[in-house]
Amino acid sequence: MKLRSIVTTTTAAAVLLCAATLPAGAQKKGGTLSFSYQPEPSALSTIATTAMPTALVSTKIFESLLEYKGPELTPQPGLAESWTVSPDGLTYTFKLRGDVKWHDGQPFTSKDVKFSVEKLIAPMHSRGKVYYGSLDVVETPDARTVVFKLKKPVPFFLKAFQPTESPMHPEHLLGALDFSDAKNIRQSDFMSKPVGTGPFKFKEWKKGSHIVLERNTDYWKKDRPYLDQVIFRAIPDGAARAIALETGEIDLAPMNAVPQADIARLGKLKNIQLSNDGAEGLGPLLWLELNIREKPLADVRVRQAISMAIDRKKVVDVMWYGQGKPARGPLVSGNPLYDKSLKPFEYNLKKANDLLDQAGYKRGAGGVRFKMTQHFTPYGESFQRLAEYTKNELGKLGIQVETQSADMGGWLKAVYTDWSYDMTNNFTHNYSDPAIGTQRAFVSSNIRKGASFTNSMGYKNDRIDQLFEISGVEIDPAKRKAQYAEIQKILAEELPVIFLVEIAYSHLWNKRVHGLITNGISMYSNWDSVWVD
Amino acid sequence: MLRFVIRRLLQLVPVLLAIATLNFFLLQIAPGDAADIIAGQSGHATPEFVAALRAEFGLDQPMWKQYLLYLGKLVTLDLGYSFQYQLPVASLIADRLPSTLLLMVPSLAIAIGLGVALGVVASRRRGGWVDGLVSIGALVVYATPVFWLGLMLIVLFSIQLGWLPSSGMVDVRANPAGLAYALDVARHLVLPVVTMALFYIAIYTRLMRASMLEVYSLDFITTARAKGVPEGGIAWRHAARNALLPVVTLAGLQFGHLLGGSVLVETVFGWPGLGRLVFDSLQQRDLNLLLGILFVSSIVVVVANLLADLTYGVLDPRIVHK
Repeated sequence: MKLRSIVTTTTAAAVLLCAATLPAGAQKKGGTLSFSYQPEPSALSTIATTAMPTALVSTKIFESLLEYKGPELTPQPGLAESWTVSPDGLTYTFKLRGDVKWHDGQPFTSKDVKFSVEKLIAPMHSRGKVYYGSLDVVETPDARTVVFKLKKPVPFFLKAFQPTESPMHPEHLLGALDFSDAKNIRQSDFMSKPVGTGPFKFKEWKKGSHIVLERNTDYWKKDRPYLDQVIFRAIPDGAARAIALETGEIDLAPMNAVPQADIARLGKLKNIQLSNDGAEGLGPLLWLELNIREKPLADVRVRQAISMAIDRKKVVDVMWYGQGKPARGPLVSGNPLYDKSLKPFEYNLKKANDLLDQAGYKRGAGGVRFKMTQHFTPYGESFQRLAEYTKNELGKLGIQVETQSADMGGWLKAVYTDWSYDMTNNFTHNYSDPAIGTQRAFVSSNIRKGASFTNSMGYKNDRIDQLFEISGVEIDPAKRKAQYAEIQKILAEELPVIFLVEIAYSHLWNKRVHGLITNGISMYSNWDSVWVD
Repeated sequence: MLRFVIRRLLQLVPVLLAIATLNFFLLQIAPGDAADIIAGQSGHATPEFVAALRAEFGLDQPMWKQYLLYLGKLVTLDLGYSFQYQLPVASLIADRLPSTLLLMVPSLAIAIGLGVALGVVASRRRGGWVDGLVSIGALVVYATPVFWLGLMLIVLFSIQLGWLPSSGMVDVRANPAGLAYALDVARHLVLPVVTMALFYIAIYTRLMRASMLEVYSLDFITTARAKGVPEGGIAWRHAARNALLPVVTLAGLQFGHLLGGSVLVETVFGWPGLGRLVFDSLQQRDLNLLLGILFVSSIVVVVANLLADLTYGVLDPRIVHK
């Protein structure tokens, strides 16, 4: 097949880029960065779980074929020094670096890539099917060449090589395991004593206390990493984490690791830096999920009325202490496919009341139009306060809401396994492409009991299904953008969920730390360029 | 005596079986399971993924089968694998046990020692200002939420004065070894032990005081006084020894709680103990881990109570175990 190189980037370009963004000689070698997040990871490979704590730690140990630049995640060379994509979008050829070694000294080769993708990621990673569902075969013509052949185009395929999504695992250490039962992989020692190619090597995990990673002295980027150690500290209480940051016991509280109420206060301290950048590739979004199978929520006018009763600005300012911004649809505004022509959602109680009247829900005794229940996500105080606010606002419309609380297990069961809910606030991620994070919630093929963060609403729109299907294989970026613009318009109009807020992922760090924010997945990057005073 | 011990140990078997059974079925009541939670945390999981997890954990089997499997493993002392950590439950418990003991044993020892002493002192001056001070102090400490007390101690000693670390068991960054390590752990231990001990001191003070007052009203104390034994000797040698019985009973019961530790204190101070493991495993619906911890702690409760029974005989020779 004649291949036309669409993207070919060289290491030299990457070096130039680094030189341009950081003043030469400013970085210091040595030192430790310690950070905390709750809960403690349960494993140190995203093959075992893609939960955030595991992603935060494992991405320093494991790498993938590419690295990414900027909030929009432009692919850069990583373990692969160059790559080509065939014009039909069906063949991706990666040329691997020749100087990469696993932490145990063995060379990293194309066999490891084939093994990781075919044996681990595609079958076991929680998003493995999303990226590799259309994978036909992985070929390894030589030790430094990997060819992915797809059955149909996957327009976001180059986003698959993030360290959380396709972490490369060593075949020589895992290949001998019995793959007939996934348990053998998950329960292997490797998951808590990982061996990767990244800038930091696993050193120690004292459960309930800390995880220590140390500098990989044999790292393929010769002058990296700058840090000697990265330490994860388990501090389960939010207030105690805030104190630890304040007193300098930890250097970093990433991704809202301290209580929402403390973020702005800590950000004002003179030794602490606050940033809401660096999570664009995750696209966190808050919405009210509605079970629209039955009336009154089946009526779009009722959903529009609920949308008009929520003052999104207030939700940001009061419940999230100003960290975030009102959403305009299913994609966050940092997403490259976001439709800029979307209008802000209106806050208008009068119109909302009119809509409910038109829908035939007249006020009865005590001014009540109808009753419903709501759950709230057990992610902390802000979500509970949002539920209280929602109840209060809907009460003004004559919708009487009864709030039910549950822990994570109970909430997931009520919303995704039993669909025994009317309304719940919910918090999900767009991820780096809407086909990964957005589609799952709105296509009717995902009205399936027992799968979390799917279409629990029971929403079915043939045009939406069709648009997601064609955009899922569309390799022309302009056409794909137009398809997503239509999706966003329809969803913002029909409101199968009430889109509320683009929640910010706030990171707080001690000002002695530098170089943390590098791209849209900064906290899931390998921190090889992070340094401390 | 030996026969008593053996008989009590044999009684353990049905008790533990009953506890294991009760635990197993009680935990089934909570909605959702570990597969739901792990899939939920993954942020994006297909029903096939959840089903695979469920099969992997054996949660797809009927409940009676799961129960029989659990009992079968228990007989061979196999506590199984944690769903969440994918590690043997026994090793997870063994990991956390030393730090839990390190926190709880000194806390309880200080609490019993000081509590008994304060109780005796207060009872000797019943109605006096010392009694009033001790009683009010004990009530205030007992009524103070333990997590709030912990946070206030952190604010004072870590933030304001900067004398003590606010959380963790060791300064991982400094990575001390040998004696420096022991001293570092001791420094980290001060605030959680003080927080924990203050709470328990209050209980033991109140209990010892009440028990002393009861003993003081007995005839043998009057006899001792009539024989001219000094008040100090009456209090410590005669009354306190008899008054200790309820304290021993309570200590026996509370020793069982050692394993559960204190979730709140461990949480506030980031102490890597078992209490938090219980809480986390409950949140995660990590059935195996939870059952394992509950099983081990029930053994400790039963054994601690046996030891308390034996201690009665030492304190009061009239109690003979047959």
